[in-house]
Amino acid sequence: MDLGLDRDELDKCVQCALCLPHCPTFRVTGEDARSPRGRIGLMRAVQYHDAPLSDQVVESFDTCVQCRGCEPACPSGVRFGRLIEQTRETLVGAGHRPPAKLRFALAALDHHRALLAGSTALAVAQRAHLVPSGLGLPESLPLRRPTLEPSGGDVHLFTGCVMDAWQRDVHLAAKQVLEAMGVGVAPTGAAAPCCGALHQHAGMADKFRGMAAATVAAFDDDQPILVDSAGCGAAMKEYGNLLGTPAAAAFSARVFDIDEWIALRVDDLPHATPLEISVAVQDPCHLRHVQKVHESVRTVLRPFVRELVELDDDGLCCGAGGAFSIVQPELAGLIRDRKTESIVRADADLVASANPGCSLHLQQAGHEVAHPIQLVARALSGVGT
Amino acid sequence: MAVLEKLRKRGAGPAGTRDRCVADLVAALGAERVHNDGAARLLASTDASIFEGGVAGPVCFPDSTAQVQACVRIASAHHRPVVARGAGSGLTGAAAPLGEPVVVATTRMNRILEVDGANRVAWVQPGVINLDLSNHLSPMGLHFAPDPSSQPVCTIGGNVANNSGGPHCLALGVTSAHVLAIEVVLSDGRVVMLGGLDAEPSGYDLRGAFVGGEGMLGIATRVAVRLTPNPAAVRTLLLSFSDVESAAATVGAIIAAGLVPAALEMMDQQCVEAVEDFCHAGYPRDAAAVLLVEVDGMPGGVEAQAAKVEEIGRGHGAGIRVAADEQERQLLWKGRKSAFGAIARIKPDYYLHDTVVPRGRLVEVLQRIYEIVDRHGLLVLNVFHAGDGNLHPIIAYDSREEGMSEKVREAGREIISVSMEVGGVLSGEHGIGVEKRDFMPLMFSNTDLDHQARLKSAFDPVCMMNPGKVLPSPHSCADISELSRASGDVWG
Repeated sequence: MDLGLDRDELDKCVQCALCLPHCPTFRVTGEDARSPRGRIGLMRAVQYHDAPLSDQVVESFDTCVQCRGCEPACPSGVRFGRLIEQTRETLVGAGHRPPAKLRFALAALDHHRALLAGSTALAVAQRAHLVPSGLGLPESLPLRRPTLEPSGGDVHLFTGCVMDAWQRDVHLAAKQVLEAMGVGVAPTGAAAPCCGALHQHAGMADKFRGMAAATVAAFDDDQPILVDSAGCGAAMKEYGNLLGTPAAAAFSARVFDIDEWIALRVDDLPHATPLEISVAVQDPCHLRHVQKVHESVRTVLRPFVRELVELDDDGLCCGAGGAFSIVQPELAGLIRDRKTESIVRADADLVASANPGCSLHLQQAGHEVAHPIQLVARALSGVGT
Repeated sequence: MAVLEKLRKRGAGPAGTRDRCVADLVAALGAERVHNDGAARLLASTDASIFEGGVAGPVCFPDSTAQVQACVRIASAHHRPVVARGAGSGLTGAAAPLGEPVVVATTRMNRILEVDGANRVAWVQPGVINLDLSNHLSPMGLHFAPDPSSQPVCTIGGNVANNSGGPHCLALGVTSAHVLAIEVVLSDGRVVMLGGLDAEPSGYDLRGAFVGGEGMLGIATRVAVRLTPNPAAVRTLLLSFSDVESAAATVGAIIAAGLVPAALEMMDQQCVEAVEDFCHAGYPRDAAAVLLVEVDGMPGGVEAQAAKVEEIGRGHGAGIRVAADEQERQLLWKGRKSAFGAIARIKPDYYLHDTVVPRGRLVEVLQRIYEIVDRHGLLVLNVFHAGDGNLHPIIAYDSREEGMSEKVREAGREIISVSMEVGGVLSGEHGIGVEKRDFMPLMFSNTDLDHQARLKSAFDPVCMMNPGKVLPSPHSCADISELSRASGDVWG
C-alpha cells in the first residue's frame, strides 16, 4: 500500500538506532516495533514491499506519541514527525479511524461556546459524582473561569480550546505578566477557537488544514501572537509549511511561545522577590524538540524562584502527547512512571511545565505542577509561595 | 527486502498454537513476552548493518535469568537455534538471525542490580544501556569505560558479545578489561558463572573466552562490570592539518613521545564536512584531516600532557583549538560519535569497515583506500581511532543505483585485503558476525579456525547458539549454506 511517504525522507534512515533511547515507547517496552527505527522499517515494508497492514503494524504507528524526541537525536536528519503524520493521514483516509471517544472529543474543540458550556456541565456532573473516572479528564474541572478583559493591542494571547476551558488561570497569569511589562494584551477567545494540533496528531489532516486556515484568517493585523501552550505553538508555527501560502508563512513567523517572547525582553520584567521554592523544569516535547525554545523557560523563570532543578532524563517525553494519554492510557502511564522517577530524584517543591497536556497528565499522577508563567505572576504579585 | 518475502511465504501470522515451539514459549513466559507477528519478526531480522541472513522466529522478551533459561530449553526441545539481541545497533549482522531461530531480546532485562562504589563493581542485567549505566554512576564520580559511538543505545550485553571498544579504550582497554564476571545461560539451559570478583579467580579464564563470543557461546544474563573513576581533569584538543600525512605523523609522534592520551581520533575532510553539517561544532571544513586528542588525569599532569601534544602538533604544522569548557568538549565529541549516521546526509546507505593496521602504515593504507574507492567511482569518508590504528572507512552509497551494492562489496574486500597485507587484523571492535565471516581465512589458518570451532563446541555442543556466524565453512558447526539457502547470501 502506498502510504504517500516521501521516498527520500524514508530512505534517509540508516538504521543506526541512535533514536531508540530517545523514544518513550521504546524505553518502556524494549520493542523494535515501538521505536522510530522500527516504525520506519514497517513504513518501508508497507510502502515498498506491500507488507500487509496487520493489526500489529497499525498498532506500531498508533502507539507513537509524536513527541519528536527522535528528531534531534537523528544524525541523518530524518524528519520523523512528517513521516508519522503522513502515515496516520493515509491510514485515516483508508478507514483506520481514530477511536470514537477521541473523534467525539475532537469534534467539539472548534466550537468555543459549546466547549466551555460542556466543560462547565461536566464540572457540575463531576461534583455530583456522575462522571466515570478513566475518561482522562482532570479530577476537578473548573466550575467558574476568570474573565480575560483585553488590555490593549500590542500582542495577541492565543487562548485555544481545552486550555481555555480548563486552565484559563494560566492565560490570566500570562496576561498579568505581560501587562506588568507594559504590554497591552488582546486575548483571542472565540475568534480563534482551536489550532487543530490534536486533529493533526490523530491523522485528521483535512480537518487540521481547515482549522489552520481559519486561524490564520482570524488575525488580520501584524501583531505578535503569543501562545502559552507548547503543543499549540508548535502546530501554529507549522502553518506556513502546511498551507504553503504567504499569509500562512507570515502568520507562523509571528507566533511565539510566551516564554520565548518574554525571554527576548527579559529586562522589561519588573523586579520581584523570588518565590521561596525550588522548581523542577519539565520540558514539553513540542517546546524542546519541535520549537527548540525550552531554554527560554529557564531565562524567564530563574529570577523569580529560589532554585531551578533540571530533570535527569534527557528531555524524555512524559507520555501526555496531546490525546495520547486518552487513547493509549497504559503506555502513557508507563512513560509517566519514568518521568515520575526523574521528578522524585530532582526533589524539588514543584514542577514547571509550559504545556497544558503535560501538566494535566503529571497532576493526575499526584505532582504539583504550574505553568512557568504562573510562577512569575505569583512572584510579581508579591503573594509569596 | 528479502526477509519480508520469506516471512510472507511462510505465512507469518500472530502467535498461535500452530507452532508448538511458540505455544510452549507463550506458556512459559506469557503471551505478552512472546511476539510472533510479522512486524516483530521483520524488525528482529536485521541489526544496524546492511546484512540480512534468515528471518527471526518468535521474538521473546524475558526479564529474568529463569525466563532466558526457559527460552533456551524450549528452543532446544524444538531443535530451534537461539539468537540473542540487545539494542540491534551492531554493524556486522551478528544479531541478524540465520535460518529461523528463536530471538531472545534482552531489552527488558535493563536493571542495574547493585553498585558497590567502594570496590568499584556493579552488577547489571545485559539490557542496561551503556550510557545509562555511566549516567547512573556519575553522582558517585564513576563510569563504565568502554564508550563506543553507539554508547547512547548499545547494551552491556552487546558490549560483552562484541568485546566493544570506543575512543576512550586507547588508554583504558576494551570491554574485556572491564568485565569481572558473567552469569551465562548455556545451550543446555544450565546457568554458570564465569570469572568472579576475586582479584585472581582460579582456573582458566572462561570469562575472557566468553567476552567477544558474539552470542555463540551462551547468553549473558548478569554482568559484573568494573567501574572507572572519572578523571579529575580533562583537556580536549582539536588539531587541524592541511594534509593527511602530517596528521598521521602527529599520531605516531604523540605515541612515540610516551604519551597515552585518553583518546586519539582522526577524521578526514569528507567526514568533517558531514559531521559539521549535523553538529555545528566548529570543525574546520577546509582541513584535510583533523585529530581529536583528549588527555586526562590530575590537573597538573593534564596541563603538561596538553602542552606536549600542542608542541608536537605545531611541529607538524597543525592549527590547534582547545575546548574551552565542557559544553564545547561535548559538542566536539557529539560530532565524532555521530559520524556514521551523519553520512546519510550525503548518501542513503553506508558500508563501514573496522580493520586495524599498524600505526606506522596508516598513511600508506589511507592512500590505498582512496585509490580503491576512486577506481570504483565510490565515495569514502574516514573516521577512526588513530591511536590504536583502528580504521573505519565508510563507503557512502545509494543502493537504489544499479550494481552499486556489488561495487561497494568489492571495494570492501579490497580494503580488507590491503589491511591484511600490511599486517593488520579484520576487526578492531565491531566483531565478525556474518559480515567478515568469510574473510576469516585471510587472517587465521585452518588450524586456528578449527581450534576456535572447538571452543564454540565446548560451550555449545549442539550448535544452537547463534549458528553460522563468525566461523566460515567448513569450520562452522552449522551448515551455513543450508541456513542461508532461502536468501542466497547476506546481501539479499
